[in-house]
Amino acid sequence: MHAGITITELAVVTEDLGRKFGEVWGLRSMSVALERGKLAVIVGPNGSGKTTTVRILATILKPSKGAAEVLGMDVLRDCKKIRKKIAYLPQEYQINKNLTAAESIKWNLVARGSPLSEADLQTKRWIQEMGLERCRDRSCWTLSGGEKRRVAVAMILATNADLIFLDEPTTGLDVEACLVTWRIIRDALRNGTTVLLTTHNMKEAEILADTAVFIKEGENLVSDNPHKLIDLLSSKYRITIKKEALQNRIVKQSIDIGDKLVVYARGQNEVKHFLSELRDLTSVASVNKVGLEDVYLHLVKGDGLYD
Amino acid sequence: MISLMRQIMGIAVIQFKGIQRQPLWIAQSIFSVSAWAITMYAWGSTRALENLVLVYIVAGSWLLGLNIVAQNIGWEKVDFIYDSNVASPITLPVYFLGQVVGEIPYFLVNLVMALTMAAAIGMQLSLLLPMVLIAMVSTLLGSFLSLSVILRLKNPTNISSITNPLYTLTVFLAPVYYPLAFLPPVLREISLILPTASLMEMARWATQTPTACNPILSFISLLVWLSTSTLLVARKLKWGSE
Repeated sequence: MHAGITITELAVVTEDLGRKFGEVWGLRSMSVALERGKLAVIVGPNGSGKTTTVRILATILKPSKGAAEVLGMDVLRDCKKIRKKIAYLPQEYQINKNLTAAESIKWNLVARGSPLSEADLQTKRWIQEMGLERCRDRSCWTLSGGEKRRVAVAMILATNADLIFLDEPTTGLDVEACLVTWRIIRDALRNGTTVLLTTHNMKEAEILADTAVFIKEGENLVSDNPHKLIDLLSSKYRITIKKEALQNRIVKQSIDIGDKLVVYARGQNEVKHFLSELRDLTSVASVNKVGLEDVYLHLVKGDGLYD
Repeated sequence: MISLMRQIMGIAVIQFKGIQRQPLWIAQSIFSVSAWAITMYAWGSTRALENLVLVYIVAGSWLLGLNIVAQNIGWEKVDFIYDSNVASPITLPVYFLGQVVGEIPYFLVNLVMALTMAAAIGMQLSLLLPMVLIAMVSTLLGSFLSLSVILRLKNPTNISSITNPLYTLTVFLAPVYYPLAFLPPVLREISLILPTASLMEMARWATQTPTACNPILSFISLLVWLSTSTLLVARKLKWGSE
């Protein structure tokens, strides 16, 4: 049992999972339990071990230590069985440019064993879902970077695999394409699919995740529902302000971001009080509610945002 | 079984689309085999064409393995298509077979030309039947040899800069287009170290064409190459769980 959840309800369970590349640990210690039918997001800076984690779970890499189960199967012992139930979009995946968008989706499905009629049906559906109608019969040579990435995401989502790994799927996508992709990924959950996604975009994690797994220097720091993590912050608001406006005033909870400072406040009254003491309100860049980014900054910088 | 065939077809079509979208590659192959046939006939008459029939089958299948299939696999590793395929129901044998089937049109150009020439010069076509096996060994060995080099490259962008010289060495410099008997006796057996030289000798022996060395030597050479390259590839061409 993991926090009241039975093992059969878990898509991924890892225990002190680690992987060494030569003398360097790419992943030091990852212990998580992720529920089936949910969307988990691994969040962390570049080089923190997100991709290594996904590559171990997708049976590409062997772990150097610890254990991992995917859909109730051991990643080492049952890798062949696991592969029948998963699909994986690597971060640096380049689609075959000799195919059109529709051909890419269709023949990838056939290669995975789908009958032709089913592959045709799915292709039609996913071209429409991903808004790729204009690219449908165009060779991928002529597609933009964002369009190619959307085709790649469609190729993976169309597989209807039980567990889908998406390594930074929205990298290179514009805002509109991101929104479409997010919607499609969330929609995929309705069919019972579990999605494990990596990103360094906190906003993306906050919007998408049922569970956010924070990872830093190869170790997972915390994993929980993003809103629960945000609620745990003692501060509820963040004020971004030019440093010069503060003159010599000392603020308790703040993060230095160069010529600006992020100042944290526990409630609306504290925000009002802080702002009323400023001479020049134009130095205030923004006042927002705290989000996952603040959870991350707290975890990484350890500045006591949780009391 | 049907599902397996479908998977192979899926991989094959993905590869074949490259030929369909860039047909000039096949046109180049057609020009090349035609040009060589004319050149050989002009200088050596039908005797040169008899040799060329075997050369086209051996060199064509060698090219398929060494310079096309292995290069594709190398590029798919670089592009992470390989990894995505690992994390799927596709298995390594299915993936490999799909690659070979998808690129087979390149070999078919050579084969059609070889059979046309054989018919034109009155060669008994049934004699060419053992060439099916030799072509299969040639493709397998070519791809294994190439992969065992490619997969050890530190800089993966250099794939074709490795496979092209390897092909030139093993097909043009080695006694493939010219007969082994042309070399001084001392060099004949030494040159059998090259797998393509041995493949050609085996082809000559299997089609009852005069050979310059004992065919057992070629057979042993091929056996050594097959086992060595299989070991070398198995160490580097992992289907996941690396």
